[in-house]
Amino acid sequence: MDRKIALIREYYQGLPKDRAKVETRRHGFAFLEGLLAGGATLEYGELTLTGLLHKYKLSHLSETMMSQLLRWHLSGECNVCLYFDDRANNLLCFNLDNNHKVNNTVVIPEMALAVEVLRDLLEDHGCRPLVLASGRGYHVWCRLDATVENGLIYTFMLRLAAKTVARLHAAGRDPSRIKFNLYPDRRIRDTVSLRLFGSLHAKNRLFSRVLTPAGLVDEEASWALFEEHLCRGTTGAGSFRAACTLLDGQFQGPGTARSFS
Amino acid sequence: MPSKTIAIDLDDTLNNFSETLARTRFEYDASYGMDEDTFSRHLERLRSGAKDESELLSTQYSFLRYRIHQRCYELSRPTADGVNFMRALRSDGWRIVICTHRDLRRANACTRRWLDDNKIPFDYLFMAWNKIVFCRAWAIEHLVDDDPFNIRFGTTHGVNVYYPLTERNRGIDPSGARGFSQFDEVRRWIER
Repeated sequence: MDRKIALIREYYQGLPKDRAKVETRRHGFAFLEGLLAGGATLEYGELTLTGLLHKYKLSHLSETMMSQLLRWHLSGECNVCLYFDDRANNLLCFNLDNNHKVNNTVVIPEMALAVEVLRDLLEDHGCRPLVLASGRGYHVWCRLDATVENGLIYTFMLRLAAKTVARLHAAGRDPSRIKFNLYPDRRIRDTVSLRLFGSLHAKNRLFSRVLTPAGLVDEEASWALFEEHLCRGTTGAGSFRAACTLLDGQFQGPGTARSFS
Repeated sequence: MPSKTIAIDLDDTLNNFSETLARTRFEYDASYGMDEDTFSRHLERLRSGAKDESELLSTQYSFLRYRIHQRCYELSRPTADGVNFMRALRSDGWRIVICTHRDLRRANACTRRWLDDNKIPFDYLFMAWNKIVFCRAWAIEHLVDDDPFNIRFGTTHGVNVYYPLTERNRGIDPSGARGFSQFDEVRRWIER
Protein backbone atom coordinates (compact mmCIF):
# COMPACT_ATOMS: atom_id res chain seq x y z
CA MET A 1 0.00 0.00 0.00
CA ASP A 2 2.88 2.39 0.77
CA ARG A 3 3.99 2.30 -2.88
CA LYS A 4 0.47 3.19 -4.03
CA ILE A 5 0.17 5.98 -1.48
CA ALA A 6 3.46 7.40 -2.72
CA LEU A 7 2.18 7.33 -6.31
CA ILE A 8 -1.06 9.05 -5.33
CA ARG A 9 0.81 11.70 -3.37
CA GLU A 10 3.19 12.34 -6.25
CA TYR A 11 0.51 12.48 -8.94
CA TYR A 12 -1.70 14.90 -7.00
CA GLN A 13 1.20 16.72 -5.36
CA GLY A 14 -0.01 20.10 -6.64
CA LEU A 15 -3.49 19.91 -5.08
CA PRO A 16 -4.02 21.35 -1.59
CA LYS A 17 -4.04 18.65 1.10
CA ASP A 18 -5.48 20.73 3.91
CA ARG A 19 -9.05 20.22 2.68
CA ALA A 20 -10.91 17.31 1.17
CA LYS A 21 -14.28 15.77 0.58
CA VAL A 22 -14.51 12.34 2.15
CA GLU A 23 -17.09 9.83 0.91
CA THR A 24 -17.82 6.93 3.23
CA ARG A 25 -20.58 4.84 4.71
CA ARG A 26 -19.17 5.53 8.16
CA HIS A 27 -21.19 8.00 10.19
CA GLY A 28 -22.23 9.02 13.66
CA PHE A 29 -20.90 11.61 16.07
CA ALA A 30 -18.11 9.39 17.41
CA PHE A 31 -16.77 8.85 13.89
CA LEU A 32 -17.15 12.54 13.02
CA GLU A 33 -15.39 13.65 16.19
CA GLY A 34 -12.56 11.28 15.30
CA LEU A 35 -12.21 12.94 11.91
CA LEU A 36 -12.08 16.34 13.57
CA ALA A 37 -9.78 15.34 16.44
CA GLY A 38 -6.63 16.70 14.80
CA GLY A 39 -8.07 20.20 14.45
CA ALA A 40 -10.02 19.70 11.21
CA THR A 41 -13.28 21.54 10.61
CA LEU A 42 -16.45 20.09 9.14
CA GLU A 43 -17.70 22.63 6.59
CA TYR A 44 -20.75 20.48 5.95
CA GLY A 45 -21.85 16.89 5.83
CA GLU A 46 -24.24 15.12 3.54
CA LEU A 47 -26.34 12.01 3.63
CA THR A 48 -26.73 11.04 -0.02
CA LEU A 49 -29.54 9.09 -1.60
CA THR A 50 -27.26 6.08 -2.01
CA GLY A 51 -27.88 3.91 1.02
CA LEU A 52 -25.99 5.31 3.99
CA LEU A 53 -23.28 6.93 1.92
CA HIS A 54 -22.13 10.11 3.64
CA LYS A 55 -19.91 12.91 2.40
CA TYR A 56 -17.93 15.22 4.67
CA LYS A 57 -16.29 18.39 3.45
CA LEU A 58 -13.32 18.91 5.74
CA SER A 59 -10.89 21.79 6.01
CA HIS A 60 -7.82 22.48 8.16
CA LEU A 61 -6.80 18.84 7.79
CA SER A 62 -3.52 17.90 9.38
CA GLU A 63 -0.87 15.97 7.51
CA THR A 64 -1.49 13.04 9.84
CA MET A 65 -5.19 12.95 9.10
CA MET A 66 -4.62 13.27 5.34
CA SER A 67 -2.26 10.27 5.52
CA GLN A 68 -4.94 8.33 7.36
CA LEU A 69 -7.55 9.28 4.79
CA LEU A 70 -5.30 8.19 1.92
CA ARG A 71 -4.83 4.81 3.59
CA TRP A 72 -8.60 4.49 3.92
CA HIS A 73 -8.95 5.60 0.30
CA LEU A 74 -6.80 2.70 -0.87
CA SER A 75 -8.32 0.15 1.50
CA GLY A 76 -11.83 1.01 0.30
CA GLU A 77 -13.04 2.52 3.56
CA CYS A 78 -13.56 5.94 2.04
CA ASN A 79 -12.95 7.94 -1.10
CA VAL A 80 -10.82 11.05 -0.89
CA CYS A 81 -11.75 13.89 -3.24
CA LEU A 82 -9.50 16.93 -3.49
CA TYR A 83 -10.12 20.55 -4.42
CA PHE A 84 -7.92 22.57 -6.74
CA ASP A 85 -5.67 25.42 -5.76
CA ASP A 86 -7.33 28.84 -5.88
CA ARG A 87 -4.71 30.49 -8.09
CA ALA A 88 -2.55 28.07 -10.08
CA ASN A 89 -2.34 24.35 -10.70
CA ASN A 90 -0.23 21.74 -12.41
CA LEU A 91 -3.23 19.50 -13.01
CA LEU A 92 -6.33 19.96 -15.06
CA CYS A 93 -9.34 17.72 -15.41
CA PHE A 94 -12.38 17.58 -17.67
CA ASN A 95 -15.21 15.95 -15.75
CA LEU A 96 -17.66 14.49 -18.26
CA ASP A 97 -20.93 13.34 -16.70
CA ASN A 98 -24.00 11.69 -18.14
CA ASN A 99 -26.58 14.47 -17.63
CA HIS A 100 -29.65 12.27 -17.22
CA LYS A 101 -31.58 12.00 -13.97
CA VAL A 102 -31.99 8.25 -14.24
CA ASN A 103 -29.84 5.41 -15.52
CA ASN A 104 -26.92 7.81 -15.70
CA THR A 105 -24.10 5.35 -15.23
CA VAL A 106 -24.61 4.10 -18.78
CA VAL A 107 -22.03 5.20 -21.36
CA ILE A 108 -24.26 6.91 -23.91
CA PRO A 109 -23.04 7.48 -27.49
CA GLU A 110 -22.45 11.18 -26.78
CA MET A 111 -20.13 10.28 -23.94
CA ALA A 112 -18.16 7.76 -25.95
CA LEU A 113 -17.71 10.24 -28.79
CA ALA A 114 -16.90 13.18 -26.51
CA VAL A 115 -14.11 11.38 -24.69
CA GLU A 116 -12.62 10.18 -27.97
CA VAL A 117 -12.73 13.69 -29.48
CA LEU A 118 -11.33 15.26 -26.34
CA ARG A 119 -8.48 12.77 -26.15
CA ASP A 120 -7.53 13.58 -29.77
CA LEU A 121 -7.80 17.33 -29.21
CA LEU A 122 -5.60 17.21 -26.13
CA GLU A 123 -2.98 15.15 -27.93
CA ASP A 124 -3.12 17.55 -30.88
CA HIS A 125 -2.27 20.29 -28.39
CA GLY A 126 0.61 18.41 -26.81
CA CYS A 127 -1.18 17.13 -23.70
CA ARG A 128 -1.37 13.42 -23.06
CA PRO A 129 -4.50 12.65 -21.06
CA LEU A 130 -5.19 9.97 -18.49
CA VAL A 131 -8.84 9.01 -18.80
CA LEU A 132 -10.49 7.42 -15.76
CA ALA A 133 -13.95 5.88 -15.44
CA SER A 134 -15.77 8.06 -12.93
CA GLY A 135 -19.19 6.50 -12.42
CA ARG A 136 -21.36 8.81 -14.53
CA GLY A 137 -18.71 9.27 -17.20
CA TYR A 138 -15.02 10.03 -17.29
CA HIS A 139 -12.39 12.22 -15.70
CA VAL A 140 -9.85 13.34 -18.28
CA TRP A 141 -6.67 14.40 -16.44
CA CYS A 142 -3.57 16.17 -17.74
CA ARG A 143 -0.41 16.92 -15.75
CA LEU A 144 1.96 19.84 -16.24
CA ASP A 145 5.55 20.02 -15.01
CA ALA A 146 4.93 23.37 -13.32
CA THR A 147 1.93 25.30 -12.10
CA VAL A 148 0.09 27.55 -14.53
CA GLU A 149 -2.37 30.27 -13.54
CA ASN A 150 -5.98 29.08 -13.43
CA GLY A 151 -7.29 31.65 -15.90
CA LEU A 152 -5.07 30.34 -18.66
CA ILE A 153 -5.87 26.69 -17.90
CA TYR A 154 -9.59 27.41 -17.81
CA THR A 155 -9.60 29.24 -21.13
CA PHE A 156 -7.68 26.38 -22.73
CA MET A 157 -10.14 23.84 -21.37
CA LEU A 158 -13.20 25.87 -22.29
CA ARG A 159 -12.00 26.08 -25.87
CA LEU A 160 -11.34 22.37 -26.15
CA ALA A 161 -14.73 21.68 -24.57
CA ALA A 162 -16.33 24.00 -27.15
CA LYS A 163 -14.57 22.15 -29.95
CA THR A 164 -15.77 18.84 -28.50
CA VAL A 165 -19.35 20.08 -28.30
CA ALA A 166 -19.12 21.32 -31.90
CA ARG A 167 -17.93 17.89 -33.03
CA LEU A 168 -20.82 16.22 -31.20
CA HIS A 169 -23.22 18.60 -32.88
CA ALA A 170 -21.68 17.98 -36.28
CA ALA A 171 -22.06 14.23 -35.71
CA GLY A 172 -25.79 14.68 -35.06
CA ARG A 173 -25.47 14.05 -31.32
CA ASP A 174 -27.14 16.09 -28.58
CA PRO A 175 -24.44 17.74 -26.44
CA SER A 176 -26.93 18.55 -23.67
CA ARG A 177 -27.03 14.84 -22.81
CA ILE A 178 -23.60 15.18 -21.25
CA LYS A 179 -22.27 17.75 -18.84
CA PHE A 180 -18.78 19.22 -18.83
CA ASN A 181 -17.23 20.50 -15.64
CA LEU A 182 -13.78 21.99 -15.92
CA TYR A 183 -11.20 21.94 -13.14
CA PRO A 184 -9.81 24.36 -12.14
CA ASP A 185 -12.72 26.74 -12.55
CA ARG A 186 -12.60 29.88 -10.42
CA ARG A 187 -16.40 29.93 -10.10
CA ILE A 188 -16.51 26.52 -8.43
CA ARG A 189 -13.02 26.23 -6.98
CA ASP A 190 -14.28 25.75 -3.46
CA THR A 191 -17.47 23.99 -4.46
CA VAL A 192 -16.51 20.84 -6.28
CA SER A 193 -13.79 18.30 -5.74
CA LEU A 194 -12.59 15.29 -7.71
CA ARG A 195 -12.13 11.75 -6.51
CA LEU A 196 -8.57 10.55 -6.60
CA PHE A 197 -7.50 7.51 -8.60
CA GLY A 198 -7.24 4.16 -6.83
CA SER A 199 -10.65 3.85 -5.22
CA LEU A 200 -14.09 2.38 -5.77
CA HIS A 201 -16.90 4.60 -7.00
CA ALA A 202 -19.20 5.39 -4.08
CA LYS A 203 -22.37 4.29 -5.88
CA ASN A 204 -21.46 1.49 -8.26
CA ARG A 205 -18.39 0.23 -6.29
CA LEU A 206 -16.36 -0.04 -9.49
CA PHE A 207 -12.66 0.73 -9.47
CA SER A 208 -11.48 3.94 -11.15
CA ARG A 209 -10.27 2.04 -14.23
CA VAL A 210 -8.24 3.67 -16.95
CA LEU A 211 -9.87 4.03 -20.37
CA THR A 212 -7.44 3.48 -23.24
CA PRO A 213 -8.40 3.91 -26.91
CA ALA A 214 -8.93 0.13 -26.88
CA GLY A 215 -11.27 0.20 -23.88
CA LEU A 216 -11.25 -0.01 -20.08
CA VAL A 217 -8.40 -1.95 -18.51
CA ASP A 218 -8.44 -3.85 -15.22
CA GLU A 219 -7.28 -2.58 -11.82
CA GLU A 220 -3.70 -3.82 -12.07
CA ALA A 221 -3.21 -2.45 -15.58
CA SER A 222 -4.83 0.82 -14.45
CA TRP A 223 -2.21 1.23 -11.71
CA ALA A 224 0.52 0.60 -14.27
CA LEU A 225 -0.92 3.20 -16.65
CA PHE A 226 -1.37 5.65 -13.79
CA GLU A 227 2.30 5.29 -12.88
CA GLU A 228 3.30 5.52 -16.53
CA HIS A 229 1.30 8.73 -16.93
CA LEU A 230 3.02 10.16 -13.87
CA CYS A 231 6.48 9.29 -15.23
CA ARG A 232 6.03 10.01 -18.93
CA GLY A 233 2.70 11.74 -19.46
CA THR A 234 3.53 15.13 -18.01
CA THR A 235 3.40 18.13 -20.34
CA GLY A 236 5.90 20.94 -20.11
CA ALA A 237 4.32 24.17 -18.86
CA GLY A 238 6.09 26.00 -21.70
CA SER A 239 4.54 23.71 -24.32
CA PHE A 240 1.18 24.16 -22.64
CA ARG A 241 1.45 27.95 -22.84
CA ALA A 242 2.38 27.65 -26.51
CA ALA A 243 -0.71 25.51 -27.12
CA CYS A 244 -2.81 28.17 -25.38
CA THR A 245 -1.38 30.83 -27.69
CA LEU A 246 -2.17 28.66 -30.70
CA LEU A 247 -5.77 28.34 -29.53
CA ASP A 248 -5.94 32.12 -28.99
CA GLY A 249 -5.31 32.56 -32.69
CA GLN A 250 -8.05 30.10 -33.61
CA PHE A 251 -10.64 31.71 -31.37
CA GLN A 252 -9.92 35.37 -31.97
CA GLY A 253 -9.39 35.53 -35.70
CA PRO A 254 -11.98 35.87 -38.46
CA GLY A 255 -14.07 32.75 -39.04
CA THR A 256 -13.98 31.79 -35.37
CA ALA A 257 -17.16 29.75 -35.61
CA ARG A 258 -15.63 27.56 -38.35
CA SER A 259 -12.49 26.98 -36.35
CA PHE A 260 -14.52 25.24 -33.59
CA SER A 261 -14.83 22.15 -35.72
CA MET B 1 -20.00 15.72 24.96
CA PRO B 2 -23.66 16.82 24.76
CA SER B 3 -26.13 14.08 25.59
CA LYS B 4 -29.02 15.77 23.80
CA THR B 5 -29.08 16.31 20.05
CA ILE B 6 -31.65 18.03 17.88
CA ALA B 7 -31.85 18.49 14.09
CA ILE B 8 -33.42 21.65 12.73
CA ASP B 9 -34.43 22.61 9.23
CA LEU B 10 -33.76 26.07 7.81
CA ASP B 11 -36.13 27.04 5.01
CA ASP B 12 -39.64 27.90 6.17
CA THR B 13 -38.75 26.64 9.63
CA LEU B 14 -36.13 29.13 10.82
CA ASN B 15 -36.72 31.64 8.00
CA ASN B 16 -39.37 32.94 5.60
CA PHE B 17 -37.98 31.34 2.44
CA SER B 18 -41.28 30.84 0.55
CA GLU B 19 -42.44 34.36 1.29
CA THR B 20 -39.09 35.68 0.07
CA LEU B 21 -39.34 33.66 -3.14
CA ALA B 22 -42.88 34.87 -3.75
CA ARG B 23 -42.37 38.56 -3.00
CA THR B 24 -38.83 39.43 -4.07
CA ARG B 25 -38.41 41.24 -7.35
CA PHE B 26 -35.65 39.42 -9.25
CA GLU B 27 -34.13 41.54 -11.98
CA TYR B 28 -33.23 39.87 -15.25
CA ASP B 29 -29.68 40.05 -16.51
CA ALA B 30 -27.75 38.25 -19.23
CA SER B 31 -25.75 36.19 -16.72
CA TYR B 32 -28.76 33.87 -16.41
CA GLY B 33 -27.87 32.63 -19.91
CA MET B 34 -31.38 32.95 -21.33
CA ASP B 35 -33.57 35.63 -22.86
CA GLU B 36 -35.85 37.73 -20.67
CA ASP B 37 -39.07 35.97 -21.69
CA THR B 38 -37.64 32.58 -20.79
CA PHE B 39 -36.38 34.01 -17.51
CA SER B 40 -39.86 35.30 -16.64
CA ARG B 41 -41.51 32.04 -17.61
CA HIS B 42 -39.08 29.94 -15.58
CA LEU B 43 -39.37 32.28 -12.60
CA GLU B 44 -43.15 31.96 -12.66
CA ARG B 45 -42.85 28.16 -12.73
CA LEU B 46 -40.38 28.24 -9.85
CA ARG B 47 -42.70 30.39 -7.75
CA SER B 48 -45.65 28.10 -8.45
CA GLY B 49 -43.65 25.15 -7.13
CA ALA B 50 -43.78 23.35 -10.49
CA LYS B 51 -41.61 20.26 -10.76
CA ASP B 52 -38.69 20.20 -13.15
CA GLU B 53 -39.97 17.74 -15.72
CA SER B 54 -36.83 17.58 -17.82
CA GLU B 55 -35.14 14.21 -18.05
CA LEU B 56 -31.83 16.05 -17.70
CA LEU B 57 -30.10 17.11 -14.48
CA SER B 58 -28.52 20.36 -15.58
CA THR B 59 -30.78 22.61 -17.60
CA GLN B 60 -31.48 26.32 -18.04
CA TYR B 61 -34.28 25.92 -15.52
CA SER B 62 -32.13 24.15 -12.91
CA PHE B 63 -29.53 26.90 -13.25
CA LEU B 64 -32.12 29.63 -12.74
CA ARG B 65 -33.56 27.75 -9.74
CA TYR B 66 -30.12 27.56 -8.17
CA ARG B 67 -29.47 31.27 -8.70
CA ILE B 68 -32.87 32.38 -7.41
CA HIS B 69 -32.84 30.06 -4.42
CA GLN B 70 -29.35 31.24 -3.53
CA ARG B 71 -30.62 34.80 -3.50
CA CYS B 72 -33.55 33.80 -1.31
CA TYR B 73 -31.19 32.13 1.17
CA GLU B 74 -29.43 35.46 1.51
CA LEU B 75 -32.54 37.64 1.65
CA SER B 76 -34.81 35.56 3.85
CA ARG B 77 -35.48 36.77 7.38
CA PRO B 78 -35.17 34.59 10.46
CA THR B 79 -38.22 34.03 12.62
CA ALA B 80 -37.58 35.95 15.83
CA ASP B 81 -38.69 33.23 18.19
CA GLY B 82 -36.72 30.70 16.13
CA VAL B 83 -33.52 32.60 16.83
CA ASN B 84 -34.34 32.77 20.52
CA PHE B 85 -35.11 29.05 20.51
CA MET B 86 -31.72 28.23 18.99
CA ARG B 87 -29.92 30.39 21.55
CA ALA B 88 -31.84 28.71 24.34
CA LEU B 89 -30.86 25.28 22.99
CA ARG B 90 -27.23 26.34 23.12
CA SER B 91 -27.61 27.61 26.69
CA ASP B 92 -29.26 24.34 27.67
CA GLY B 93 -26.36 22.28 26.33
CA TRP B 94 -27.98 20.78 23.23
CA ARG B 95 -25.91 19.61 20.27
CA ILE B 96 -27.50 21.42 17.32
CA VAL B 97 -27.46 20.01 13.80
CA ILE B 98 -28.80 22.18 11.00
CA CYS B 99 -30.35 19.71 8.57
CA THR B 100 -31.41 21.05 5.19
CA HIS B 101 -32.33 20.13 1.64
CA ARG B 102 -30.12 22.94 0.37
CA ASP B 103 -27.30 21.92 -1.92
CA LEU B 104 -24.53 22.84 0.47
CA ARG B 105 -21.84 22.35 -2.15
CA ARG B 106 -22.95 25.72 -3.43
CA ALA B 107 -24.86 27.12 -0.48
CA ASN B 108 -22.44 26.35 2.35
CA ALA B 109 -20.82 29.79 2.45
CA CYS B 110 -24.02 31.83 2.22
CA THR B 111 -25.79 29.58 4.72
CA ARG B 112 -22.98 29.97 7.24
CA ARG B 113 -22.90 33.71 6.64
CA TRP B 114 -26.66 33.97 7.23
CA LEU B 115 -26.47 31.94 10.44
CA ASP B 116 -23.55 34.01 11.63
CA ASP B 117 -25.17 37.35 10.71
CA ASN B 118 -28.25 36.35 12.66
CA LYS B 119 -26.21 34.98 15.57
CA ILE B 120 -27.85 31.58 15.31
CA PRO B 121 -25.72 28.96 17.08
CA PHE B 122 -25.22 25.48 15.68
CA ASP B 123 -22.69 22.67 15.80
CA TYR B 124 -22.93 20.97 12.42
CA LEU B 125 -24.42 21.65 9.02
CA PHE B 126 -25.80 18.70 7.06
CA MET B 127 -27.69 18.27 3.83
CA ALA B 128 -29.98 15.26 3.68
CA TRP B 129 -32.73 14.43 1.24
CA ASN B 130 -34.24 11.95 3.67
CA LYS B 131 -34.06 13.56 7.09
CA ILE B 132 -35.77 10.66 8.82
CA VAL B 133 -33.04 8.29 7.66
CA PHE B 134 -30.45 10.87 8.69
CA CYS B 135 -31.88 11.24 12.19
CA ARG B 136 -32.12 7.47 12.59
CA ALA B 137 -28.55 6.93 11.36
CA TRP B 138 -27.18 9.59 13.70
CA ALA B 139 -29.42 8.63 16.64
CA ILE B 140 -31.07 12.05 16.71
CA GLU B 141 -34.40 11.87 18.51
CA HIS B 142 -35.81 15.29 17.65
CA LEU B 143 -36.38 16.99 14.29
CA VAL B 144 -37.93 20.42 13.75
CA ASP B 145 -39.04 20.58 10.14
CA ASP B 146 -41.90 21.78 7.93
CA ASP B 147 -41.66 19.07 5.25
CA PRO B 148 -44.97 17.17 4.91
CA PHE B 149 -43.10 13.90 4.32
CA ASN B 150 -41.28 14.17 7.64
CA ILE B 151 -44.43 15.28 9.45
CA ARG B 152 -46.30 12.23 8.18
CA PHE B 153 -43.62 9.59 8.55
CA GLY B 154 -41.13 10.75 11.20
CA THR B 155 -42.88 9.50 14.31
CA THR B 156 -43.62 6.08 12.86
CA HIS B 157 -39.89 5.70 12.28
CA GLY B 158 -38.93 6.75 15.79
CA VAL B 159 -38.13 10.43 15.21
CA ASN B 160 -40.06 13.07 17.17
CA VAL B 161 -41.04 15.67 14.59
CA TYR B 162 -42.17 19.21 15.45
CA TYR B 163 -43.46 21.44 12.68
CA PRO B 164 -44.52 25.06 12.32
CA LEU B 165 -48.25 25.35 11.68
CA THR B 166 -48.52 26.94 8.26
CA GLU B 167 -51.14 27.02 5.51
CA ARG B 168 -49.18 24.39 3.58
CA ASN B 169 -49.16 21.77 6.29
CA ARG B 170 -52.39 22.48 8.17
CA GLY B 171 -54.27 19.66 6.40
CA ILE B 172 -51.60 17.00 6.81
CA ASP B 173 -52.21 13.95 8.95
CA PRO B 174 -49.49 14.52 11.57
CA SER B 175 -49.30 10.85 12.61
CA GLY B 176 -47.91 11.81 15.99
CA ALA B 177 -45.85 14.84 14.90
CA ARG B 178 -46.61 18.00 16.85
CA GLY B 179 -47.46 21.31 15.21
CA PHE B 180 -46.46 24.51 16.94
CA SER B 181 -47.27 28.20 16.68
CA GLN B 182 -44.35 29.35 18.81
CA PHE B 183 -40.94 27.73 19.27
CA ASP B 184 -41.43 27.91 23.04
CA GLU B 185 -43.85 25.02 22.68
CA VAL B 186 -41.09 22.86 21.17
CA ARG B 187 -38.74 23.78 23.96
CA ARG B 188 -41.24 22.56 26.52
CA TRP B 189 -41.86 19.30 24.64
CA ILE B 190 -38.22 18.36 24.16
CA GLU B 191 -37.24 19.11 27.74
CA ARG B 192 -39.74 16.62 29.13
